[in-house]
Amino acid sequence: MSVNVGVWIASLLTLAIYSFLYKDNPFYKIAENIFVGVSAGYWAVILWFDFTWPNLFEPLIRQGNFIYLIPIIVGLMMFAPLIHKISWLIRIPLTFTMGVAMSLVILQRIQGEIFPQLQATFLPLSGVSPAQLISNLLIIVGVITTLIYFYFSKAHKGILGVGAKLGIWFMMIAFGASFGYTVMARISLLIGRVYFLLHNWLGLI
Amino acid sequence: MNILDRLVKFDRRILFVFVALAVIIPLLIPIGLPVDITRPVKHVYDRVESLPEGSIVVVSVDYDPGSEAELYPATEAFLEHCFRKNLRVYMMGLWPAGPKLGNMALEQIAPKYNKEYGVDYINIGYRPGGPVMLVSLGRNVADLVRTDYAGTPIDSLPLGRAVKSARDMDLVMTLSAGDPGVLHWIIYFSARYGTPIATATTAIMAPQQYPYLSSRQLIGLLGGLKGAAEYETLVERKARAVAGMDSQSIVHLLLVAFIILGNMVLLYQRRKK
Repeated sequence: MSVNVGVWIASLLTLAIYSFLYKDNPFYKIAENIFVGVSAGYWAVILWFDFTWPNLFEPLIRQGNFIYLIPIIVGLMMFAPLIHKISWLIRIPLTFTMGVAMSLVILQRIQGEIFPQLQATFLPLSGVSPAQLISNLLIIVGVITTLIYFYFSKAHKGILGVGAKLGIWFMMIAFGASFGYTVMARISLLIGRVYFLLHNWLGLI
Repeated sequence: MNILDRLVKFDRRILFVFVALAVIIPLLIPIGLPVDITRPVKHVYDRVESLPEGSIVVVSVDYDPGSEAELYPATEAFLEHCFRKNLRVYMMGLWPAGPKLGNMALEQIAPKYNKEYGVDYINIGYRPGGPVMLVSLGRNVADLVRTDYAGTPIDSLPLGRAVKSARDMDLVMTLSAGDPGVLHWIIYFSARYGTPIATATTAIMAPQQYPYLSSRQLIGLLGGLKGAAEYETLVERKARAVAGMDSQSIVHLLLVAFIILGNMVLLYQRRKK
């Protein structure tokens, strides 16, 4: 059994959280509130020491790089709505952020996501093995029928209706796969905690 | 009252007990169920194997303690493989807590292979800025990185001096639990600079990565704890992930059984009405 105080605290808090599975109780509430408080404090420290200080105040104060005054001033403008007379100043940082984000995101999303993903659906239907042919057909039919389902300018009747129904089937299979993976993820987290209790705390494995 | 009538009033806490037992017992008494290797995991392994000694691998630890159970085993297994192959590891993180978790793994694995900090591996810490940062990092590392995670000037470390831009990075491995993460690396880094990207993601994120595997924007994928277990098997380092696979398989069987049972009860109730 562990002699580490930290491991004991973590283990008892884990058990307190899991006690909720039986029913709501004071131990669960205590653990929940500790988690909220510690998280807030932890992130405040991380954001200051790993983010704000080394990227903004350290170059400004320690290295005397006064260009960093500009982001400080622009950042402070985000608080302008708190003072009614100068509330319009918030438009400056917002426009700057939107401008940078839009130019970068639009360009890179087209280059890095839309084009390569489109290209990945241009698949050969001849000169490939039967297994590859089935795989390619599934991708092509899946993409087209799912897109048909999201085409709303015409009633889903006739051939369009068949396509849309097929699209729903493809989406259902995708949702099923996602749900399966979600279950796996949750169980993995439980295994991680139980492993911690049995290995780090109790030393049974 | 038959058994199906009784199951209608089934206390779900009984299911929790079954799940707990299905997790605890295989951990205490391992069965040793086989771990099959899937192609996306093998591709990551093969790519690392194909890199010549001294190649630089960026390991981006893009998760926090909430996903530690799924991604930390993958972090250790991947680092083990890199160090065994004498590759140099350039660690960083898009999540604030990531590089600290990565450092724990480095401290576990690097001494086993007598690797020296600054020469064989480095940790430049948390890098904020998402897309803008990744674009700048690929163009000129010196614009962004002046010190490592502990505040040591990057120019004083040989590996720090060796990485000037994306051209010096032979592979990026992102251990990703969300946003920013693998999608940012694909869109804002790989698409721009052509650096190959491999990823280990939480199981929830894994299905979303298959289109990128299909388009070859990702060279491989370690999906959740199962992916980590496969990688541990490949690098012959059976540790936490492999230990958890027996429990994972048994709980899945149990849940399948309960889903079937639940549906049977539902159908029975409908018929009764």
